[in-house]
Amino acid sequence: MKKHLRFFFSMKFAIVILLVLVGACTVGSVIPQGNTMAWYAQNYSERVAGAVMLFGLDDVFHSPWFVILTLVLCGNLLGCNLLHLPQLIRRMKKGFQPDPDTMVAVSVIGRTQNAAEVFHSLGFRRIEERKTKDGSAFLYSVKNKAGIWGAWICHLGMLVVIIGFGLGQAFKTEDTVYGVTGQTKPVGETRYALTIDDFTVDLREDDTVSQYLSTLTMTDTVTGESQSGQTSVNAPLTLFGRRLYQNSTGWAAETVIEKNGEEIQSQILCAGEYMPIEDFPDLVVTLAAFYPDYQPDEKGHPQTASGRILNPAYLYRIYYREQVLGMNVLLGDEVITVEDYTIRFRNPQSYTLIQVKRDPFTPIAAIGGALVLVGLILAFYLRTAELWAVQALDGSWQLGGRSKKGGAEFEEAVGEKCLLYREVIE
Amino acid sequence: MSHEQFLNLENILFTITMFLYLFSMIGYVFFFALKKEMAGKLAGYAALAGFILHTAALIVRGIGAGRLPMTNQYEFATSFAWGICLCFLVFLWKYKFRALGTFVMPVIFIIIGYAAMQSREVRDLMPALRSNWLAIHVSSAIVSYGAFGVSFAVSLMYLIRTRMAKDSFWDEHIPDQKKLDMISYRAVSLGFLFLTFVIVTGAIWAERAWGSYWSWDPKETWSLITWIIYAIYLHLRISRGWKDKNAAVFAVVGFICVIFTYIGVNTWLPGIHSYA
Repeated sequence: MKKHLRFFFSMKFAIVILLVLVGACTVGSVIPQGNTMAWYAQNYSERVAGAVMLFGLDDVFHSPWFVILTLVLCGNLLGCNLLHLPQLIRRMKKGFQPDPDTMVAVSVIGRTQNAAEVFHSLGFRRIEERKTKDGSAFLYSVKNKAGIWGAWICHLGMLVVIIGFGLGQAFKTEDTVYGVTGQTKPVGETRYALTIDDFTVDLREDDTVSQYLSTLTMTDTVTGESQSGQTSVNAPLTLFGRRLYQNSTGWAAETVIEKNGEEIQSQILCAGEYMPIEDFPDLVVTLAAFYPDYQPDEKGHPQTASGRILNPAYLYRIYYREQVLGMNVLLGDEVITVEDYTIRFRNPQSYTLIQVKRDPFTPIAAIGGALVLVGLILAFYLRTAELWAVQALDGSWQLGGRSKKGGAEFEEAVGEKCLLYREVIE
Repeated sequence: MSHEQFLNLENILFTITMFLYLFSMIGYVFFFALKKEMAGKLAGYAALAGFILHTAALIVRGIGAGRLPMTNQYEFATSFAWGICLCFLVFLWKYKFRALGTFVMPVIFIIIGYAAMQSREVRDLMPALRSNWLAIHVSSAIVSYGAFGVSFAVSLMYLIRTRMAKDSFWDEHIPDQKKLDMISYRAVSLGFLFLTFVIVTGAIWAERAWGSYWSWDPKETWSLITWIIYAIYLHLRISRGWKDKNAAVFAVVGFICVIFTYIGVNTWLPGIHSYA
């Protein structure tokens, strides 16, 4: 049992999991995710589509086997860190002690007359003085002790990132609210309502979008308390602990129904939305698309020449009992008449789409990311090293040392520094 | 100077840079294949001159565009080549072995050649790219990819060294395999640290721009794959028997992943990073 557990926590097993993860990620990025069986059958073959659906390859990153794989990796990281913690503490407490008689037996990596200079030039500040058994002077110093924690902190960081991400996936809430200036809409199933106080699309001279800006007010429908602010792309707004993101935009227009010359119904429809006629629900009108600067192409396909409202046109569809009754483009003030009803569109304007999110575990993932970075810096750039020197009978110093990471480079550096001060002994 | 004049100047500097890199590459090939010391020296000067002009080209483009030149395929490709050249010159200065250029310069030339094939049109930034995180995220990617480029070249050199007959010229100009392995490790360490920084800063930026710090977008996923490949490389080095040749092979595979993350993903796996 202990043997199996040790293997589970081992680096070998970690490498196996990482390789499987690489395979899973590759599959997840190559196979388009989130499509239907019919889509896969159409794009691949029935057989492949069946395999895709059977193994959850249509949603690799949320499939049970991927979650299990990630949990196994977490277990491995946790076990590995728990196993190494006592060793590291022991090493910090007792591992870096001058042991003259054992250390002088290790091969010499350099000779110098001025040991203190070599120590200092290599970044060894605190030098301890001892005597060997035979009474020779012995110097010892250790640097970058914190470096031994690098890998451990990095693994801990990874674990924290995965936990933070996993908890976020499980408990985060996400709602979408869209509308035009002046509209108030509920935020999903929550107790909050969102009012769009203003929405502006900043256009450059060449009609490209510079920024989307939404001014919003969120109201707690239970207490009546409100909070306001502005959100734009790259500048989310936080209201009532929720993050509000400027996600996208589109066109909307007021859809008006008249009967016998009298306006009986009007509603703002965002492109793609439907509106049944209240006193004749079998008849449904939809604003399929809006072209602010209508200019059909050579084949007559509708398109817009710019993003400014210069020549507005509305692509509509009318359904009668779910069957398409008609579809066409209405220019400006043109109307459609169906039976007694006249349908027109007016006041085209941009609508804003706001994402309202709450993920209390994001800071945990952020802490994890920071830990990974700190761990890597410690591991790669604070390489723990020990340097010692024993004085020979002629007064010169013989240097020895060790560095678990980059030992050869360390020895080379010691050799170079000794060479720098060699004239003293020659 | 007008924006157009700046961009014309950039065009001239970029073209001269390409020729200098080409000259450097040819010089290094002569140096290595024909054992011509002088060719190696000239190639080194050409690489340095190319790097200086390349830096100037990027600065001029930045001034002409009124922003950092890191936002489209052309700009990232030329910055990527610049990053590899920077890392190459730093490693050359630190470890002082000229033969490194023989393996690095072709990589730089291919990438700058790829840049030359992209559209050089300057466009205003879309709202999602208008962020201070752009400079931090992309510049760290350039350093990371540059370091991985150097590790790739050193590892390739390592693998070729194992098959080369003993020769005093090569012995003088190519470090022994132990040192090559160590240099490759140093380059991977630098690249890995910066790649982690790229992923972390990218996540922070994505959270602000898209409302989600991780969306399994192909670019994100392939950055993670590359990160895992190099993580495996670093772990395998600790395992007995995986240093040296096997590690060199893994460093080469890692760089192939880097290239795929940059070019392959943009070409075959479009996602929300499609402008990168």
